[in-house]
Amino acid sequence: MAEDKKETEKIGRCAMCADMCKYSCPTYLATGRETLSPQKMARLIVYHEKGLLEDRKDFLDLMFQSALCGACSRHCIYDDYDLRRFIHKARVKAFESGAIPEDVKKRVETFRKFGNPNGERKPIDKGAGDIGYFISCSSYKDEDLLRATEKMLSKSGLAIRRFGGGDMCCGAPLYYAGDMEGFKRASLKMKAEVDTKQVGKIVIDCPTCVKTMTETYRDMWVELDVEIMHTAQFIETLLKQGKLGIKKKKRTVTLHDPCILSYDLALSSAPREIIATLGFSLKEPVYSGDQTHCCGAAYGAKIGDHRLKDAVTSRRLNELRSTAADIYVTACPTCKSVLSEINMKYITELVAERVIAKR
Amino acid sequence: MKVKTYMSQKGILPRGFIARVRQIVGNEHFSQQEGDLISYSLDYWLYGVFLSQKGDLPALPSAVISPASAAQIQEIVRCAGQYKVPITPFGGGSGVLGGAIPLNGSVVLNLQRMSKFLNLDELSLVAEFEAGIMGANLELELNHLGYSAGNIPQSLYCSTLGGWISTRAAGQFSTKYGKIEDMVLGMEVVLPDGNLLNIRPVPRRSVGPSLKDLFLGGEGTLGIVTRATISIHPLPRLTIKQSFIFPSIEVAVEVVRQVLRAEARPAVVRIFDEAESGRYFPNIGRKVVTIFISEGETEYTNVDARVIRRISRQNGGKSSGEEPANIWLQKRFDIGLGPVLMQYGGIVDTIEVSALFKDAVGLYRDMVAGMKAVEGTLEVSGHYSHFYREGACLYITFAGIPKDPLRYYQDTWDAAMKATLQNNGSISHHHGIGFWRIQYLEQELGASGVRLLKSIKSALDPEGILNRGKLVDGGR
Repeated sequence: MAEDKKETEKIGRCAMCADMCKYSCPTYLATGRETLSPQKMARLIVYHEKGLLEDRKDFLDLMFQSALCGACSRHCIYDDYDLRRFIHKARVKAFESGAIPEDVKKRVETFRKFGNPNGERKPIDKGAGDIGYFISCSSYKDEDLLRATEKMLSKSGLAIRRFGGGDMCCGAPLYYAGDMEGFKRASLKMKAEVDTKQVGKIVIDCPTCVKTMTETYRDMWVELDVEIMHTAQFIETLLKQGKLGIKKKKRTVTLHDPCILSYDLALSSAPREIIATLGFSLKEPVYSGDQTHCCGAAYGAKIGDHRLKDAVTSRRLNELRSTAADIYVTACPTCKSVLSEINMKYITELVAERVIAKR
Repeated sequence: MKVKTYMSQKGILPRGFIARVRQIVGNEHFSQQEGDLISYSLDYWLYGVFLSQKGDLPALPSAVISPASAAQIQEIVRCAGQYKVPITPFGGGSGVLGGAIPLNGSVVLNLQRMSKFLNLDELSLVAEFEAGIMGANLELELNHLGYSAGNIPQSLYCSTLGGWISTRAAGQFSTKYGKIEDMVLGMEVVLPDGNLLNIRPVPRRSVGPSLKDLFLGGEGTLGIVTRATISIHPLPRLTIKQSFIFPSIEVAVEVVRQVLRAEARPAVVRIFDEAESGRYFPNIGRKVVTIFISEGETEYTNVDARVIRRISRQNGGKSSGEEPANIWLQKRFDIGLGPVLMQYGGIVDTIEVSALFKDAVGLYRDMVAGMKAVEGTLEVSGHYSHFYREGACLYITFAGIPKDPLRYYQDTWDAAMKATLQNNGSISHHHGIGFWRIQYLEQELGASGVRLLKSIKSALDPEGILNRGKLVDGGR
């Protein structure tokens, strides 16, 4: 009860703030709609809890119009507060009452049928070693990404077990949809799968998977007994240890910082280190690092309204295009796919271009 | 709708108006959805924020209209005139006097879709933006290119360029870079009859009274600012932060007067009274702390800092180093305490007034004493936040846990305004009038001043379409 009161106080303060974080909110910026700004979302959640709203559908639809990117939390004037927890609670209630948007519903149905958001796919399990490389759902169908990652891993000379595909998924699509029972099942299944792999460390190419399989699982009392790291951290380490030989060539690169990587995992320096080590010249957009903007994510993933998702994507594309760099790169397979209009590459593709056999 | 309104009711819009506006902006940019109406019901008028906790809102808009261009605004304004529908322009909604509250059944004209960075002229050191751009985004865009607008209000992260212009705003670095009226060189305004006024950017003109000054502080009552060209500055090469402890407010104010008289131009000068120093700088405690931040070209900045140091020491100032300035830079946007107090039934607000140097200290003493005497007061504290060669802005914060919140709020404001006027001050330095301060307008401007302002409003907006009930309730 005391915990509930504390949480209610926190969102009550947010609802009375001057909206000091809205300048960083991608859905607000893409639409200019005050209602989507964090403080107004908080006010509506408070009013909903107090029974002051009449239009339940309007409210629940709004709860699916957040990118859940964490910009508001990163730029919040209060410590230990994350509006996303409250938006997520509202999504859970929406899910329980069957009031989720169509895009989200389709994604959940696909997940239920195939155990992942992509549809039917083959399981991958090859190689052996103490290090595991988990191929996320968002990179599963990306042949360029997988080829580049494979090249990089083989040049490193390390023994690595690659796995993923089939029905292996961290469960994030269900979590974002508010399906907590489904998510719990997915997390336990993932734990069982990971246990069978017998690896001490898992490298993952998707920031959302990293966050989900650490922080979000812990909230559900599910703990994976392995070290989990993002690909960018892994490559940074390999480069520092001299395990990858590099052929340097000057070209300009713009990095799109994935929101989860910057805001939740605080890893925005890792891809920059890699880019610098590879000899590229970095051209930063206005909004980068801890000011990055979300790409909009996949359809029905975080933003439940495809028109809003497209508006957020379009704004981010324009921000990135303005650097006119030779190459655009990111550290999230979903961002790569969403921002494909500017021929976005995943960080391993950049590494694969430069990596040479180590003598 | 279950939320209650206590100032005015939502209006019923003519069908013809709705149909026409939907055509102009597109269906998705005309909304009467509950979530939108609640979100545009209130700005940052703190008494309203206090009441909003329980679902009590001052007013609900009849609709929210979000145009994408000046041309659309022109059409909307003409249509509103035809159907006699009042319009409340809404920028960032950060105003603290209720200027963006949609009174009298107004529709809200949401300007936040118009937020583009339009043009940079590095040769002339000017940049043009659409009025709905958020201050922080404007500054981030300029910083990326090596410039700053130099207008850094506490509301930087939640206020818009159009809002700065409409309230005649001032930022924390204003002693060097000036206030918004010093920065705006040109602007585009949709007038209440729907015509477009384009004031081309030039350094200065002598073509009758300055038309742009009608809209600098017009609070959306005389026209809707849609874009503006502002002056910009290269990012400073050197920044020097200093602070001094003085034996009294009197000495601190005298030092700043001498510093400015000696032609030093620090960007930031702030004098904190004992109460605010105690809160901001616990390591120093309840003393009078003054911070100076000088910045710009290396040579000038060094000289500036040297002049400040010499005059401060000559007047018995004890250096407290860079730390207080660093602490202030870290905490200057932190408004977190207000909402916490409000959750416990506290009434909190800030009042900014201005006076000449001869009155500046008397104003502080009288204002604090008058406000402290109001029953229910917990704390009244102050700092001087902006300086001129001739005087200063005094910024007072008050908090109380009263039995009758509205009575307390009214009495404290009355005490503050009375002390201001008795000390020949102005009732507002940079927050504006909104609706709450209208009650003190005549004491500030005199009957002739108010008549003149009403005449201007009536001449421009005879039907009282724009921001009805604000600044001067002229027109119909």
